[in-house]
Amino acid sequence: MTAAAITLGLTLLLYLAGAVVLGANLFLRRPVLLLAGRGLAIAGALAHTAAIGLRCVETKSAPFATPGEALSVLAWMVVLAYLVSDIFWRLHAAGPFALGLSFLLAVGAGIAPAYRGVPDPRLMGSGAVSFHIAATLAAIGAFALAFCCAALYLVEHHILKSKHGLVWLKRLPPLLTVESAAFLLVAFGFPLLTLGILAGFVANGVSAGWYANTHVLLAFAVWAIYAVYLFARLAANWPPVRTSYVLLVGLALCLLLFFVPSATHRFG
Amino acid sequence: MPLVMIGLSHQSAPVEVRERLAFTVGGALGDALGRIKAGLPPNGECVLLSTCNRTELYVATSAREPDGDAALLLAGARGLPAGEFAPYLHELRGHRAVEHLFRVAAGLDSMILGEPDIVRQVKAAYTEASDVGATGPTLNPLFHRALFVAKRARTETALGRGAFSVGHAAAEMAQSIFGSLSGRSVLLLGAGKMSEATARHLAASGARSVLVANRTFDRAARLAEALNGRAVHYDEFPAQLERADIVIASTAAPHTVVHRPMVESVLHARRHRPLFLIDIAVPRDIDADVGDLPDVFLYNIDDLRAVVDADQAERRQEALRAEALVREEAVAFWGRLRSQETATPLVTSVRAKMDTIRDSEMARLRQRLAHLPPEDWEAIERFSASLVNKIAHAPTRKIKDFAADERSDEKMETVRELFELDGAAAARAGEEPPP
Repeated sequence: MTAAAITLGLTLLLYLAGAVVLGANLFLRRPVLLLAGRGLAIAGALAHTAAIGLRCVETKSAPFATPGEALSVLAWMVVLAYLVSDIFWRLHAAGPFALGLSFLLAVGAGIAPAYRGVPDPRLMGSGAVSFHIAATLAAIGAFALAFCCAALYLVEHHILKSKHGLVWLKRLPPLLTVESAAFLLVAFGFPLLTLGILAGFVANGVSAGWYANTHVLLAFAVWAIYAVYLFARLAANWPPVRTSYVLLVGLALCLLLFFVPSATHRFG
Repeated sequence: MPLVMIGLSHQSAPVEVRERLAFTVGGALGDALGRIKAGLPPNGECVLLSTCNRTELYVATSAREPDGDAALLLAGARGLPAGEFAPYLHELRGHRAVEHLFRVAAGLDSMILGEPDIVRQVKAAYTEASDVGATGPTLNPLFHRALFVAKRARTETALGRGAFSVGHAAAEMAQSIFGSLSGRSVLLLGAGKMSEATARHLAASGARSVLVANRTFDRAARLAEALNGRAVHYDEFPAQLERADIVIASTAAPHTVVHRPMVESVLHARRHRPLFLIDIAVPRDIDADVGDLPDVFLYNIDDLRAVVDADQAERRQEALRAEALVREEAVAFWGRLRSQETATPLVTSVRAKMDTIRDSEMARLRQRLAHLPPEDWEAIERFSASLVNKIAHAPTRKIKDFAADERSDEKMETVRELFELDGAAAARAGEEPPP
């Protein structure tokens, strides 16, 4: 077992423990649990950074040259997006979701056979392909957190309207905070996604029949749904409940984009 | 030094009795403290804690039984006969008095469990007593510790969290919607006490812009001035709904004054900004179907009371943890206090006895070895002092441990016998040990 795989294993444990501790804090509201959960998330992110770095050294390639590696980087992006969100908006209620999702993605990375496979030769020297993947993964990381904020918004909105389970409101971030956090995360992720898609075109060129490629079409669908969200939020005066549903659909499309097999994307 | 608490509270006396024995901080309290202090022995200490729910006198004196006089002193401070209050007075001594004060400061003995105001009241009572020189080596550390324990109970448990009143619940709900209330605008419909109290809670949470609309403009102007806000004419309030984030409705109108079309008409201009409507009027001021509109959150007095009740239920669970913390702190504090008060004189006596033996042995040695040079005597002096220190170290530590022990009196007596000390010189606390 390589040093990168061992460090990734440690990362898994830290993410899982962080998710459990922050989940327990949602119920028990103990400052010590919050502190411990944050500490585990930071330790997990640091261990993950080390795992990714070690993997680069081992393969002498970009850290997302195989499907497993790409999953690992995506998990890392989600955790980074969570840590930044927690600093700015005290979004620790999103911790169980973010760390839990990262744990699952990192498990996927660990068990994917190609984690120890041969790197994609296209990534050995292509800056455009590397940027295409890095920007897209960072965007999906931000969208994953935006999804969590949207889900929190819908839950809180339902509690406030129905007046059932009001004690939960004290455990969750304020309604306006999650709504604006979701918007800012999308506002950060959308330009990255746009640049990532453009870099993909630059790297591969526009080949004949691109419009019949599932992956390309899904990428456009993802881009379009977040464009719709931004338009609806900024110009069309949609109610936040509706824009929150758009974000839920958005992440579902992101996951499809990531996992649907594609002829042009070796691990797409 | 014996410690006694004597007083009455909402648990032992009705309000008619409590109000007769109440003292106001800065006024009657200072005079009462002066009278009580004058009635105590020279080294006596006292703190008088007087709130709307309790009047309690904490006394520490060097006398063996100060409690017999404490009730007289308390009632006398108000110029009333003690007999009048005797059935309502409760008295706690030693460790139990310490634990009681810690419970009071933490809000565990409050009418509304965990209410935060009691910390300020305990602090004010202590400051007042300290200012008139009524506190000393027993009550100073006791009250400092009580305030520390209160802080621990509130930070380490959720005892201080949640809403304690309808106004507080409204402010908490507003924060659940908006987060920080700074920059949020509040519109008050009606200038009654309830809306004022709620607005004050919101202002304390950061809300700055307050508009007051009332059928009588003068009343609106007076309340607006008190809240550092602005009065508007009553018929202007529908237009203000477009700008307001929080509306507190508490008019005396016999029918609703805020209707669905009125709110619906401003929703487009509000661009989905949440509107929090607090209807604390009975009969209600806001049509119930207003709450069905998007981005509008309508809460009436029952909804807010339900929030207070739910928080109270949560605090009751937290109180168990806070009680354990208070007990642990009280035992530790009482142990330290007894150790200080009981052990210190005994340790001093033991050391004095050893030093006496050392001095007499050194004197005999000087006669026998008079030919030794001064530098040798210096070495012998250092050696003998070091020897006594080392021999005294273990008994000193043990005496301090004994002082906090259940059978401290018995053990102290054994130490006195062991070192053949004069019993009168050693300390006798004569108070009940901690449980």
